[in-house]
Amino acid sequence: MRNWWKALAVILLLFTLIGGFLIEVPKQVILYESIRNLYFHVPMWFSMILLFFVSTIYSVKNLSSGKIVDDTKAVELVNTGIVFGILGTITGSIWAKFTWGAWWTNDVKLNGSAITMLIYLAYMVLRGSMDDEQKRARISAVYNIFAFVLLIVFIGILPRMTDSLHPGNGGNPGFNNYDLDNNMKLVFYPAVIGWVLLGFWIANIRIRLNKIKQQLIY
Amino acid sequence: MKFVLGIILSFLSFLTQAQPIEMADQMRASGKIYVVVAVLVTILVGLIIFLITIDRKVKRIEQELKQSNASK
Amino acid sequence: MLNEITTLLKKDFTSEFRQKATLNGILLYVASTVFIAYQVFNAIEELTTWIALFWIILVFASTNASINSFKAESSQAYYYYYSLCSASSIIFSKLIFNASLLLVTAGLTFGLFVLLMGNPIENSILFSLVLLLGILAIASTLTLVSAIASKTNNNSTLTAILSFPILLPVLLTAIKASVLCGLGFGWEDCVVYVSTLGLLNLLTIALSYVLFPYLWRS
Repeated sequence: MRNWWKALAVILLLFTLIGGFLIEVPKQVILYESIRNLYFHVPMWFSMILLFFVSTIYSVKNLSSGKIVDDTKAVELVNTGIVFGILGTITGSIWAKFTWGAWWTNDVKLNGSAITMLIYLAYMVLRGSMDDEQKRARISAVYNIFAFVLLIVFIGILPRMTDSLHPGNGGNPGFNNYDLDNNMKLVFYPAVIGWVLLGFWIANIRIRLNKIKQQLIY
Repeated sequence: MKFVLGIILSFLSFLTQAQPIEMADQMRASGKIYVVVAVLVTILVGLIIFLITIDRKVKRIEQELKQSNASK
Repeated sequence: MLNEITTLLKKDFTSEFRQKATLNGILLYVASTVFIAYQVFNAIEELTTWIALFWIILVFASTNASINSFKAESSQAYYYYYSLCSASSIIFSKLIFNASLLLVTAGLTFGLFVLLMGNPIENSILFSLVLLLGILAIASTLTLVSAIASKTNNNSTLTAILSFPILLPVLLTAIKASVLCGLGFGWEDCVVYVSTLGLLNLLTIALSYVLFPYLWRS
């Protein structure tokens, strides 16, 4: 069974939907039932970062091997990651409107996500400005690695220095104790794995399509 | 700023202890939440079946391409 | 390697002094933007506005200054010159050149700001340290990014697009630290930001050193 992980993704996502709506959650003001968004909004970011991380690994591989295959993988992983990032931004915006009262708040995590999107859109622009395949692969790989490392520094360090509305940093009533609640853990971890796997599945299909396209051209 | 927030929050939590927090219990009691879950599961299953068919199609094209390359 | 760096630096500096194209451009740019800011604000009462404006003008001036740092290198003659020395000495010489250019720019901008809009900075020793580290980080980021952009078809727009999102961490940290310096806070309160800037410097320089050879080969 080579596609076991796709089956796992389906099972975990079904469990996320059913368990996410039916299993008891802690009762809290401000959040109310919207706490269940945790199973759907947060995994978007996990998937995005993981897709970008694996893309960076393939960029490193491309620099050391010089193979176009690695570049194809890197760019399609980024493409899928951008979709997940956009979904994460929109869902976060909706959730913020109904809990914090504004579509966009000047929060480190939100700014971090905005910068992430800008970086990877810039990556796509950079790719669009070169025609030669080998050159495009190498130069965009250099930018991908450089940008990802700085991005990790940004989202790893800056939130620690400032207050955030997000749980875990700053004085947010939200769900500082959500990770203590076993019921939520039971759904949250499978949800993250399920969404991440779905992301890689879509990326996998895009990579294969891209390879077919390349074969047809030559 | 943080201090004031803290006071407000402790006040809020005091309030919430006094009266039960209103969740969507009504929906659960009347069984309507199952309708929502059913709709969402249908959408998810539909999308996944769609994804699987796309996956299959790509695989078929990959094999055709391999054969045509071999016969060349 | 040290020999190569000094030779390359000498070449860059003499050509800069002979033409003075970059320096004059920056001079005019900084003077006109600061003058416009002065016309709009007269004396800036609020510290945050002063500092934000200062850094924004500085970043745009730096981007303008670094856009052309690899422009001359794309001609055939330079390929020959540079085949004589290693990639790492090229990137280091460019880095030092850009950093010194930007330090001059920073000093100039600061002087004009103080002259026209007053000096609200209370802890000026610490502020100069923050300024130095911030400029170094900006210079090293811009050097690599302009090297990337020089390999593409439209390099001037791309430098801006590629660098702004990854300059944001540096910029935000530098602005936060400068505000603290401006309010007169001491070393203990700023040490987090100063060390973050130092870390960003180390990272960008190390990444430039590792990644530049791959750019150079193409």
